[in-house]
Amino acid sequence: MILSVEQLTIITREKQLVKNVSLAIREGEWFALVGQSGSGKSVLSQAIGQMLAPNLKAEGKITFQKKDLLALSKKEMRTVRGGKIAYIFQDYQGSFTPFRTIGQHLDEYQKAHGVHSIKTRLAQTKEALDSVGLNESVADQYPFQLSGGQLQRVSIAMALLLSPDLLIADEITTALDSVSGHRILELLAKRQKETGCAILFITHDWRHVRRCADRIAVMKEGEMIESGGKHRILDHPQHHYTKQLIEAAPILGRGLPSGLQEAGNR
Amino acid sequence: MKDFSIPLSKKNKHSWQGAVAFVVVAAALAGAIYTFFYLRYDPTLTNMGGRLQGMSMEHPLGTDHLGRDVLTRLFLGGQQTIGYSFLALLAALMIGVPFGLVSGYKRGWVDRMFMRIADGFLAFPDTIVAIVLSGLLGPGIGNLVLAIVMVKWVSYARLVRSSVLSESQKEYVLIARTNGLSSKKIMVKHLFPHIAGHVLVLASLDLGKIILLISSLSYIGLGAQPPTPEWGAMLNDSRPYFQSMPSLMIYPGLAIVIVVLLTNMMGDYLRDRFDVKKEVQS
Repeated sequence: MILSVEQLTIITREKQLVKNVSLAIREGEWFALVGQSGSGKSVLSQAIGQMLAPNLKAEGKITFQKKDLLALSKKEMRTVRGGKIAYIFQDYQGSFTPFRTIGQHLDEYQKAHGVHSIKTRLAQTKEALDSVGLNESVADQYPFQLSGGQLQRVSIAMALLLSPDLLIADEITTALDSVSGHRILELLAKRQKETGCAILFITHDWRHVRRCADRIAVMKEGEMIESGGKHRILDHPQHHYTKQLIEAAPILGRGLPSGLQEAGNR
Repeated sequence: MKDFSIPLSKKNKHSWQGAVAFVVVAAALAGAIYTFFYLRYDPTLTNMGGRLQGMSMEHPLGTDHLGRDVLTRLFLGGQQTIGYSFLALLAALMIGVPFGLVSGYKRGWVDRMFMRIADGFLAFPDTIVAIVLSGLLGPGIGNLVLAIVMVKWVSYARLVRSSVLSESQKEYVLIARTNGLSSKKIMVKHLFPHIAGHVLVLASLDLGKIILLISSLSYIGLGAQPPTPEWGAMLNDSRPYFQSMPSLMIYPGLAIVIVVLLTNMMGDYLRDRFDVKKEVQS
């Protein structure tokens, strides 16, 4: 187990956003967290990196590589964030500071994690951009000069720059058109194979889940209602809500309703 | 991809105003600095034999009621008035901006505490604070600057805080945090450049107000003390001679009007350049 969340509850003053959720992610697996908007998926993912807004409080236990994350000091947490746990978000436009170039972003990030040699940093930046299929000239460009797909590629490059053990991808394809989203997903799958990091993939899109996930958890209104292997959930959903969700998803292409063949054909 | 141009310059039909204002303010500053190094007359040297003279070659703007050269005093007064205004503005920025950054970024109880402090300062009008301070510490331009800083920093803190509150919700700040950057670095390198434009606009609009405030409080005797040449104090000095020699009041008055007008023009120009609405429209 690389990450285990036990009995996690996230509360505001008024209500509980996440109620007693437990999940565990193994090394190198693709763990999909599915649920509709407002089901608490994103808050849960933010709690893992201690990124919650000050008015939210997390109770429970989050163990990452045998360390209790909720008990770490701010400074220790900073080295875990970015170093061991990396994030990619949905809003690719907002993911980069507008007046800083892509290169500056990547450079600063490495600097913050103790890569002191400029040469190493530049080489790593180039390598990272290369690994997601971008030209190194992108490093000199500003975020608004790139397309959404390109920016999301940079996000992936940045997230995997310091080879984290866990990547949290929060609806990364939602804001992209389906072709770009598809490409990003394939890129992520490819990079995962190369780096071997575990991915917590948050989505509401069943197509992505069918294609890539190893295991699936379904959330509804802050509660985890079902979790298990991909095949178990997709072909034999136990919970009424999961059945509804799967039925509601649009089916593309041929094969089983669960889309298993589609994934195999690829 | 090469053809993207960065939309830095926006055509503005009023831009000449801003340019003119910049040039004149720069010239006034240069003049003030020049007089610092080169003085034809001692601004405080009295010459009772040559008092209340009109224009002449020796005294281009005449002499005042103690026979002092008006032009020299006007330049030196500008140095005092504008210089202290900049000082007050700078001090207000140095306090207000970090205060607002921390308050807006940290939020929670830090924010609440900081903002209550700011509200406390805001409760007193600037004139009252200036009068109370000069009553407690004695009149003088230093205390006046202190009073102005005490009142003015709050507006910067509030402006910065509100901008930071909305900016820090955006994902690039979240990404910077997930990348493990320190709060200080995020505030200085990622948030501050965003709000620097707004702060600059407010500061340039405030400069005129501060100049006016220093002059008016000096006029009623709370700021610069005689014989220090200061525009407001010069106005006060020449009040008894208003009917016999109105030019004595006109020169410093005109100087104040022009400088305040120009700083306002400059502020308007900067506001147009950094206008958020325009950014959205274009």
